[in-house]
Amino acid sequence: MIEPVLLESTTGLFDGGFKLIPALTLAAMLALFLGVGWFFRVASVDDMWVAGRSIGSIENGMAIAANWMSVAAYLGVASTVAFLGYFGLAYVVGWTTGYFILLIFLAAQFRRFGKYTAPDFVGDRYYSDLGRAIAATTTLLIAFVYIIAQGNGLGLMAQYIFGVSYEVGVVLLMTITIGYVALSGMLGATKNMTFQYIILISAFLLGLYATGWTQGWSTVLPFIEYGSQSTEIATEIDRQFTEPFQDATYYHWVALCVSLIAGTCGLPHVLVRFYTADNERNARWGTVWGLVFTLLLFLGTTAYAAYGTLLYQENVGEYTEMTGTEADTLVVLTAHLAELPDWLVGIVAAGAVAAGLATTAGLFISASSAAAHDIYTNLYKEDASQREQMIVGRLTILGLGAVVTYLALNPPALIAEVVGMSFALAGTVLFPVFFLGLWWEDATREGAIAGMFVGLFFGFGSIVNEILPQYVSAISGDAIVPAFATVVPATSSSLVGVPAVMLTIIVVSMFTEDPPEDVKRLVRQCHSPKPMKKMDSAEDVATDGATPADD
Amino acid sequence: MYDTILIPTDGSDVAENAIDHAIDLAEQYDATLHALYVVDTAAIDIGLGTEQVQRITEGKFSEMSELKARATEATNVVAERAGDDLEVVQSIEAGQPHTVISQYADDNDVDLVVMGSAGRGGVRRAILGSVAERTLRTTRSPVLVVDVREDDD
Repeated sequence: MIEPVLLESTTGLFDGGFKLIPALTLAAMLALFLGVGWFFRVASVDDMWVAGRSIGSIENGMAIAANWMSVAAYLGVASTVAFLGYFGLAYVVGWTTGYFILLIFLAAQFRRFGKYTAPDFVGDRYYSDLGRAIAATTTLLIAFVYIIAQGNGLGLMAQYIFGVSYEVGVVLLMTITIGYVALSGMLGATKNMTFQYIILISAFLLGLYATGWTQGWSTVLPFIEYGSQSTEIATEIDRQFTEPFQDATYYHWVALCVSLIAGTCGLPHVLVRFYTADNERNARWGTVWGLVFTLLLFLGTTAYAAYGTLLYQENVGEYTEMTGTEADTLVVLTAHLAELPDWLVGIVAAGAVAAGLATTAGLFISASSAAAHDIYTNLYKEDASQREQMIVGRLTILGLGAVVTYLALNPPALIAEVVGMSFALAGTVLFPVFFLGLWWEDATREGAIAGMFVGLFFGFGSIVNEILPQYVSAISGDAIVPAFATVVPATSSSLVGVPAVMLTIIVVSMFTEDPPEDVKRLVRQCHSPKPMKKMDSAEDVATDGATPADD
Repeated sequence: MYDTILIPTDGSDVAENAIDHAIDLAEQYDATLHALYVVDTAAIDIGLGTEQVQRITEGKFSEMSELKARATEATNVVAERAGDDLEVVQSIEAGQPHTVISQYADDNDVDLVVMGSAGRGGVRRAILGSVAERTLRTTRSPVLVVDVREDDD
């Protein structure tokens, strides 16, 4: 399934050289992000003790969507739909369904837990430093894999806008991103993420509407107006475009879909937003709005794929011979092939950069907090000062940034596939410990640790199995163990992984000593049906000696 | 001369190195001692997550029990060392340390700020900066900087 990506294109998308207006658009956008961040930076807090105005659920939803939607959603999904036809729909279905699980089982419950980082939950719930260490390491691994794909997308956009080589593009935009995050964190967080969302969705829809309009294909709702175009592709060009399971098996489709659902519920940089939602209602509605804002983009990606395929067939050649790079730039390529003016194509490309920037910043921060808070402070040096933590965090961002930039120069797979791998990793290793941790009070420390090791075997093992042969020439073939790759594909390890991990947790928990009573009370309080007062955390209620609500 | 003395502390050895100087001066002048812990929002952003900065600005610091405990512990050290004879006011605020220290000094008519410094130089200073140095440049109050380095170097 995983093919090395060849960086070549014959469409002329990259032939335009340096483009002044798109370059200025991008520069203005970056300046706007920095300006908003500078303006909203926290120089001093007027009242940190009395709750004041908080972020509303719509704004929270936009922040969730901006954090969650990356270059993979913006460029990658349209790319896989065009490249693999029906198979690409697994991304659309999986990535949106995940929100429902999040909404029903995790969002409000995480709000009740109310700590700081995702590994905090594992460390506290499973009363285990080792558990915390594994969760923190997994968080670093997820960020690591995920950011490689972002670097790939950013590089392609820089290649179009600045007319530089792909490698220069990756280094250029990644350096800006890493500098932006290492120096100043996420700069005015929620405000900035809201901006990033508005910019990326406007850019995305502008390109879609303009293409549909100029080609006479769609008017006000391109999301549902591309039917005749996709029928045309299916009947006249290539049956595979809408034929299910032509390019991949039924098993593979379901496995991918399940992995993306579980992954959405296990991503550390998204879950931490729920810790800080004003209240449970806000956490829930934030999730619903997040889904609405995500759908605005996702419903458009399939339309892009249909339009792009048709334009490619008309202007370039057989769409079935499209290269990986062409597919990965399909959203921008569509606008380009529709002969939209350069400034408009530039805006579409800048939107992709906004999508990449928002997610990359969130991932870097989840990595730096896992290193500074969970590993350095909680496990190594209990009394580390704030400045020491900041230094550890910054060094993590710089170190991780250097490695991912290097690997993004030679990406191992299509953008959506690489992001799929990091989702599968999150879904296989973290989702089961979160889910059972919140809903089953008898899950024990030993169970969780054993479960996460099993998860790493499936989640990370499958990635190594398929990626290593690309980098180590001594290993021949597509995978180290081809049979393992067939049953547990790197992008889709959760279908096998999640049940295996859950079973491990349950079986080991039954044979080990029950968790301490205070942990059980905490878990009961987290999923109790009785509403909690706005400011309480589950821990307060549980330790105040009050009767847990459902006892 | 000095009726109100401010000692900012982050609980580190560097900061606590200055406490004895502040206490001695406070005893001389019978001054009130203010122990201030600044929750550094930039450090929280990188080290704990951006959402947590949001939480502080929304006034929910009381929820963040671990951070509160750490801050209280740092200001308690000052109160303990000062003993019963001196009046010690303990405060916790959040923001950029030097901005908050300077603002706190203005708001509370502070006559002298006593703070520690790691005495970093060269490249390390350029990268890490120095809260003491930035405070010097921001505040109009007199500042006594106690260098943590021993004389024998």
